[in-house]
Amino acid sequence: MGRKWKLVICITSLLIILGLPTEVHAHGVVIKYTSDIEIEIVATYDTGEPMDGAQVLVYAPDDPSTPWLTGVCDDKGHFTFTPDTSKPGIWDVKIRQAGHGGIIHIPVGEDAVATGSSGGGYSGLQIVLMAACVTWGIIGTALYLSSRKTARKRA
Amino acid sequence: MHIPDGILPASVCAAGYAATVPIAWYSIHKIRKGGDPRENIPKASLLTAAFFVASWIHIPVPPTSVHLVLNGLLGVVLGHFAFPAILIGLFFQAVMFQHGGLTTLGVNAIVMGFPALLSYYIFRFGNIFRKDSNIIAGVFGFLAAFCAIGLSVSIFVVVLITNIPGGFDVSTERAAIYTLALAHVPLMFIEGAFTAFVAVFLRRVQPKLLVRA
Repeated sequence: MGRKWKLVICITSLLIILGLPTEVHAHGVVIKYTSDIEIEIVATYDTGEPMDGAQVLVYAPDDPSTPWLTGVCDDKGHFTFTPDTSKPGIWDVKIRQAGHGGIIHIPVGEDAVATGSSGGGYSGLQIVLMAACVTWGIIGTALYLSSRKTARKRA
Repeated sequence: MHIPDGILPASVCAAGYAATVPIAWYSIHKIRKGGDPRENIPKASLLTAAFFVASWIHIPVPPTSVHLVLNGLLGVVLGHFAFPAILIGLFFQAVMFQHGGLTTLGVNAIVMGFPALLSYYIFRFGNIFRKDSNIIAGVFGFLAAFCAIGLSVSIFVVVLITNIPGGFDVSTERAAIYTLALAHVPLMFIEGAFTAFVAVFLRRVQPKLLVRA
């Protein structure tokens, strides 16, 4: 091969190298992800006792009359399900056991929040304080009326 | 024994209120006929407070737990004041602690208040004995509270079993309701014994506090 051809090959190779796109494709890699949101329900009585064996009905936003899923809480009052993320909106979960229970509304999709609660969520101290206030109000009323009656008798 | 909001259909809640109104009216009518109602208001207020707090005293009865009701005691001590007292107590329980509910206030008043009124008449039935004694006060005090809890549980069970919504497994829910009802049997004896003790104690130290007339 003459010097002329060697020069042509070198220039052509250089042009090819310089002309390559910056993006490099190695072995074919396909990366996918799916967003599975697992929702855990914890159902307890206001005493803290778990709703062991309570029935659970889950309603999807597109059909609030037919349960999308039914189940039962475990012995710790836990129930876990994965909502269909193609149905964004408010998912309703009804829990019931022996006439006790409630409903919780869980937003799924853009408005999803990490945690939520359907109960009052009072601490033990708050409950004691509220009970004491109401009790004192009732007893105070009784004492007030009683003192007025005594005062009238003395007069 | 408190039925919360969202458990019963609207028609049953409305029927509960409809049944509560005439019983409340009857109680108030009898209170007015019984002289100056202000004399008994301090006593009624104290027992309303006791009823309000009692629902937080839980007694473990495996596999569940039950709470004190004291409707029999209120009937024995308050007489016709018992129903309005329980109605007020239930209102505060629903508003403060979501124990029960405002939509089901009428139904809960029937569940707990009506048996209280009946327990008053059971206790008064002891008057058929000419001789007033501690034994009679104790026996009829026990019967009054025993029957009050029994009737409350019976109404509670009937209301719930006839109103199990679609979607829930009826047999599972029924079994849970029956289990809860059975758990109240010890409470019938506990409240019966407690009311008998209170009736005997009051008869000894302050007989005027017992409504026997």
